[in-house]
Amino acid sequence: MDIISVEDLTKKYGDNEVLKKVNLKIEEGEFYALMGPNGSGKTTLASIMASVRSPTSGKIEIYGRRPEKAKELIGYIPQENFSSPILTGKENLMYFAGLLGYSRNKAERIVDELLDKVGLSEDVNKKVSVYSGGMRKRLEVATALFPGIKVLILDEPTTGLDPSARRKFLGLIEELRREKTTILLITHIGADAELASRVGLIDEGEIIAEDEPERLKKTSGLKNVINIETTIKSEKVVNVLSNFSEKEKVLETDVGYRVFCKDVEKATPKIVRSLDAIGCKATKIETEKPSLEDVFFKLTERMVREVS
Amino acid sequence: MGQITATLGKTIREFLRQKTILFWTIAWPILWVLIGSFSFAGNASDEVIPYIRGSIAISMSVFALMTAGIANLPGNIAQDRERGLLSKLMSMPINPWKDFVGRILALLAFSFLAAILVTLVGYACGARFSYTLTGLWQSIGFLLLISLSSAGIGMLIGTFIKHVHGAIMSGVGIAVVTAALSGVMAPYSSLPWLLQQFAKIYPISSGNSSITYLLVGEDYAGYNPLSTSQTTLMITSSVLLFIAGLIVYSRFCWRKD
Repeated sequence: MDIISVEDLTKKYGDNEVLKKVNLKIEEGEFYALMGPNGSGKTTLASIMASVRSPTSGKIEIYGRRPEKAKELIGYIPQENFSSPILTGKENLMYFAGLLGYSRNKAERIVDELLDKVGLSEDVNKKVSVYSGGMRKRLEVATALFPGIKVLILDEPTTGLDPSARRKFLGLIEELRREKTTILLITHIGADAELASRVGLIDEGEIIAEDEPERLKKTSGLKNVINIETTIKSEKVVNVLSNFSEKEKVLETDVGYRVFCKDVEKATPKIVRSLDAIGCKATKIETEKPSLEDVFFKLTERMVREVS
Repeated sequence: MGQITATLGKTIREFLRQKTILFWTIAWPILWVLIGSFSFAGNASDEVIPYIRGSIAISMSVFALMTAGIANLPGNIAQDRERGLLSKLMSMPINPWKDFVGRILALLAFSFLAAILVTLVGYACGARFSYTLTGLWQSIGFLLLISLSSAGIGMLIGTFIKHVHGAIMSGVGIAVVTAALSGVMAPYSSLPWLLQQFAKIYPISSGNSSITYLLVGEDYAGYNPLSTSQTTLMITSSVLLFIAGLIVYSRFCWRKD
């Protein structure tokens, strides 16, 4: 049963069309990730679903109702850290419990359960200002887990988290998924999107591909990826590497490049020699399976993430 | 717990735990009560000095109310918007009006707490008052009107100035400058004619004069602020400022796009 249904949704800011006739359906209990680069319209789509923004045209329904009529079913976690740093974790949740109309005793009980669920029961009386980024995000997710909330909309929840906090946070999401909570994850991180049961790739306001993560990779036609770390990064290096890559596409990463090859074994020594010839050393070469970020790059020739 | 109680509790806690807010709303006026009580009495007779100190304590209590409304409230609104709380609230099944009422009640509670503390320090420094019970109730009414007009100005600032520090510092700046120009921080009689007219129009200074008139006497207020026209102007302008702030806040802070 589709519980989120988006039909021909358009959003314009002046002449700028941020969402272009987007269509999307999410089933009950599904974990759906919407992945795209900054400015692709994914946050706008999430905020329309959460009734923070209104669409220019099109239709959107959550459990058969317009988003503003289904607010009690939606737990929206915006990108920013909205919890109050000068209140304790428990005080923050008690505030949200009060907003939802719970009596003091009931609120106390539910808040304690929620803090336990997100792994913060030891830190309930600490001010949020001393929480780590991951703890703060988990506390904020707890605001979307009050009884009655059926859809969780998470906007870039792992951005800025260190690897350990990110793992712990994704563990919590996995747990919620097992409990059959419907989750919409907005992200630009391929590894996060891979956890979803279905992924939509969004670019320039349009969903350009949508499927299970593995099927998306399979249908992209990408076979293998060579991940190369180089001593220098320049256009000259890109030109050399593009000779070995499918359709001459080379993806730049933080530390080097990703080259899409059909025959990795044959290409690798040739790549090393060619780089040597232009005075560039390959410090590390690994063969990997393609990621969702590679699929996005193949489809759009743009990177999901900015290279720092 | 209802939405109003939840917002009231959260806002009051935030006011009481922020050093900047505590400084500008409580410590700064108390500092001026201490300085003013022992420095600005001039060559006045011993009989008059306690009442001069009384008028200083009243002015600084009014200043505490001003900074609470004009600086703390917009800082609180800007902070909630900047950290995404307003977006989160907009996604929840809650009523913006109740959020607003909760914030205003928190502001009033905090303002009156600050005013009481400042007055107590003034009293400890030798401030004395001469009042009737009716005058005391009327003064509380004027304090309420001062809080409403300050909240109105605060909501206008908080709606249009997006950044927390910008909102707080703009509020503090407006509070300090208008308090100085309108006779809240200086005797009405020492103001030039133009500023005396401003003092009568500006509801906060007009309210300050009214309270001074009621609790200390006309000599210390500088003029009779309780004439029908002056009182009507004070009440009307306070209510209008509050309504203007309220409309702008509910239209723009809770607007979807």
